[in-house]
Amino acid sequence: MKAAPFDYVVPDTIEEAVQHLADAAGDVSILAGGQTLMPLLALRMATPSLIVDINRIAALSGVSRAEGAVRIGATTRQAQILADPTVAAHAPGLTKATALVGHHQTRNRGTIGGSISLAEPAAEYPATALTLGAVIEARSARGVRRIAADDFFLGPYTTALEPEELVTAVHFPEWPAGTRLIVEEVARRPGDFALVGFVCALVVEGGRISRAGVGWFGMGPTPMRSRKAEQALTGQSATGLDLAGIAALAVSETDPMEDGHASAAYRRKVAGRIFQRTVGQALAEQRAA
Amino acid sequence: MSASPPGGVAARFVGQRVPRKEDRRLLVGRGLYVDDVVLAGMLEAAFVRSPHARARIKSLDLEAARALPGVRAVYTAADFAHFGLDLFNSFAGRGSGPTVRTLADGHVRYVGDPVAIVVADNRYIAEDGAGLVMVDYEAEDPVVTIAQARDGAPVHDGYTDNVGVAAATPDDPEIAAIFASAKHVVTGTIRHQRQAHVSMETRGIVVAPHGEGELTLHLSCQSPHMAARYVSLLFDLPETSVKVLSKDVGGAFGLKIQPWREEVAAIAASLKLRRPVKWIEDRLENLTSASQAREQEITIKLALDAEGLLLAADLDYACNVGCYPHSNDCNTFAMMLFTGAYRVPKLAYRAVSYYSNTVGQAAYRGPWAMESLARETMMDVAARQIGIDPLVLRERNLMTAADQPYAMPSGMVVHGVTPCETLELALAKVDVPAFRAEQARGRAEGRYLGLGVAVYVEPTTMAMGGPFSTDSAHVRLDPSGKVSVVVSTHSQGHGTQTTMAQIAADQLGVDVADVTVLEDDSSRGGFGPGAGGSRQAVSGGGAVSHASRILADKVKAIAAHMHNANPADIRIEGGQISVAGVAEVSTTVQAIAEAAYFTLDRLPPGMEPGMEAQYRYRPPPIVFSNAAHACVCEVSAETGVVKILRWIASEDCGVMINPAIVEGQIAGGVVQGIGGVLLEEIAYDAYGNPTAVTFKDYMIPTIHDVPEIEYCHIITPSDSEGGFKGVGEGGAIIAPPTMVNAIADALAPFGARCLDLPLTPTKILELIEAGEKG
Repeated sequence: MKAAPFDYVVPDTIEEAVQHLADAAGDVSILAGGQTLMPLLALRMATPSLIVDINRIAALSGVSRAEGAVRIGATTRQAQILADPTVAAHAPGLTKATALVGHHQTRNRGTIGGSISLAEPAAEYPATALTLGAVIEARSARGVRRIAADDFFLGPYTTALEPEELVTAVHFPEWPAGTRLIVEEVARRPGDFALVGFVCALVVEGGRISRAGVGWFGMGPTPMRSRKAEQALTGQSATGLDLAGIAALAVSETDPMEDGHASAAYRRKVAGRIFQRTVGQALAEQRAA
Repeated sequence: MSASPPGGVAARFVGQRVPRKEDRRLLVGRGLYVDDVVLAGMLEAAFVRSPHARARIKSLDLEAARALPGVRAVYTAADFAHFGLDLFNSFAGRGSGPTVRTLADGHVRYVGDPVAIVVADNRYIAEDGAGLVMVDYEAEDPVVTIAQARDGAPVHDGYTDNVGVAAATPDDPEIAAIFASAKHVVTGTIRHQRQAHVSMETRGIVVAPHGEGELTLHLSCQSPHMAARYVSLLFDLPETSVKVLSKDVGGAFGLKIQPWREEVAAIAASLKLRRPVKWIEDRLENLTSASQAREQEITIKLALDAEGLLLAADLDYACNVGCYPHSNDCNTFAMMLFTGAYRVPKLAYRAVSYYSNTVGQAAYRGPWAMESLARETMMDVAARQIGIDPLVLRERNLMTAADQPYAMPSGMVVHGVTPCETLELALAKVDVPAFRAEQARGRAEGRYLGLGVAVYVEPTTMAMGGPFSTDSAHVRLDPSGKVSVVVSTHSQGHGTQTTMAQIAADQLGVDVADVTVLEDDSSRGGFGPGAGGSRQAVSGGGAVSHASRILADKVKAIAAHMHNANPADIRIEGGQISVAGVAEVSTTVQAIAEAAYFTLDRLPPGMEPGMEAQYRYRPPPIVFSNAAHACVCEVSAETGVVKILRWIASEDCGVMINPAIVEGQIAGGVVQGIGGVLLEEIAYDAYGNPTAVTFKDYMIPTIHDVPEIEYCHIITPSDSEGGFKGVGEGGAIIAPPTMVNAIADALAPFGARCLDLPLTPTKILELIEAGEKG
């Protein structure tokens, strides 16, 4: 478990970093928190000729608000996001999701840009970005590109990023205050990748659901968004919903796999149950509030 | 109760939670593990391993690897042929089981089978070189499962089938008659998946050849002496030429009970190169190529009378021992121990081990543990079938003090155990009536709580013959008054450097801080088998106790002679020596020790000078300890996820040298047992590829998955020196049925029988659904 030989550079600026990416012509890996890359290197499942370590680029880290969104710099550590008051106030769905990412120790290293770029289908961040309508900001030597999360996740560990592009930030649009947010997962051990993961945002105005986001992780080759379920929820009265029916609809838009940890049937069944229970609770809290 | 060791010395340290002498150096990162050893001119090794479960090697091309700068050698089986290295079991000796070559010779027989060893300036280059070795394989259909092994092509040359060993009790018409007429016959089949040992420290060796065929081996092992003996036999070297050093070892659990293919290949490579060679197993190798354990299935048939009294048991057992198991047997011990702590008049069994194209098996903490899983889970199944409370069924059948010594139907004789008492204590701690009320309330709300209980007796010490028969202790009191104990125990986390010091300190009347235990060097002290069979407290402890007492008697004899007193009146405490009734006499152990070396004319006439004693202790062949564990869990009917709410371990391991270490042993075993029930599985696909090769997929319990364990102790001294019993394996043996029974109790409203491990959330939901469909 020793990495194959590689060259290593530690740029101080984004410009330098993307120039390295451009020069490497694809035979390159970007090192952020290293929570996935380091084991892949050790197992020689990743054998890049060059590693660009972006940890010293100050401009890549930090939380700010702009254009109705919370902007999270790519190398912002998960632990920082979890503790950040701006995130908690204006992108609370991200705070909820972060609490489920890995463990204390891994959150001290792991970054949001790394998780989004990796596109692990069972990870919390990609599904949260997808469900909440996040936009991924990417840089290359040619300039900045903004990619909607809807267009970003193409397959397991496959994204719309070009090889010479670097994720510089993720923009989470601010949902209205009072949005009911659900991030729920079932894992065999706390901190593991989810067997079934569910993200949901519901805006309730005057007793009616005016906007809904429904997404899944661990339920297909990418994070999955259930658009039909979102439509079915939107415009409905928050009381007397056919939750079982909408849950079934939402699950029908997923494509879970069987693996060593759970069967596909398990994932569908539990997904439907989680949807029904948590959405029911969220709407009941809404009424109480 | 606290025990008084024989010899009239107060027990001041035995029985106390003395902080471990090992802990400070380990906690501050100053331990000495194999990978910490760096020698001048040392090379590092990596292996080329088979990607096929079964294939013929058509050709090997080593040129590119050999040409890589920094690669010093690439060896295959042909290069080691002149050593004649056919591996064997260090207990059984040569001549049992299939031929085990150090490296694959013409055929590969499991994924991970070592084909070549690449030795280079460092591990990075060694792995680069391994990647350049070209092997042309002709793949063949592998035998992976027990079912395939039963009628598949033989894995090994010269075999007509895949049967390793078959053992059975003779046909007994009486047993058939009992089953024919019994009021209740209960049957079930239980499968235990394959597990890995996953010691925190993987296997590893640093080989240093020197002199004329002399070898120093820094080895992660369970006994320096056993390892030295094995290597000397294997390489045909004088035992005195092989020195094994092994200071700190991060867990072994049976995996490191003897060097195996990779360690031997590293030794052979080092001898050929005449340079030190290090091989440190990485975690990928550890999960795919280190020996594994379990993978057993058993069909149990119990006959009970109208009152639920057990009349007979009938067992059909099979285990998949993989390709090259350490030991060629079919776990007969699991059969013999099946009746456990119960009075069962009759037992029949048929046990078979099968070879397959999977990694070979090794002993794993409680290698016979399947007896407890099978028996205790079937006791619950039987109780439900008959309609008796499982606790009542146990109470009716457990052996009491009056029943002992009790001869099991297998012939093993149990005595000195307290199954009824430990169970009673555990159940009191649980507060069963309160739990049952809470369980009923929970069920009404759709919360499924369960209580699982299991009871067992554990054979420890295992001094029935062979290398496990004895241990030796050499105790020395230096002129400085400090004590060194060279003992044939060996710690892989057992804390023997503390427990053995506690025993010596009590016998010698000195402070435990003044006793240093040395057990890390095969060239020091006498042969001993080290860790295995939960034996060190009894056997090593007995040796230390006896040798220290010989020395204490000498201290008393000299003190008595110097002060004109009767040796019987000499008292030693805290290093101070006094004479009963003679207040003005006061000297120290240190002063006596110094005199024994330096002022020989003050010694009694004819007495040997110095302060050294040694003793080789032969413990009783088997010392039984016992325990009852209870677990309270909640099973989510929504997700099938199990949460452990309470765990109670109520045990009797005789006199506890150090209760904190006893509890640590129990906790470690319980955690491994929980992992086996809920999480861990070494699985192979249809082609024999392992599917859990990193910790992402081979899930072991974390701090989040294990409860705070509540302990109850009963102390029934054994008839060994010091009254000790072994406790190393019990937690791992009894945790699986305790956990399974708790889950089954939680799922009782669904009529679930939880008999296949691991009980993943998927399986649990399937059980619930099967119950709902009725």
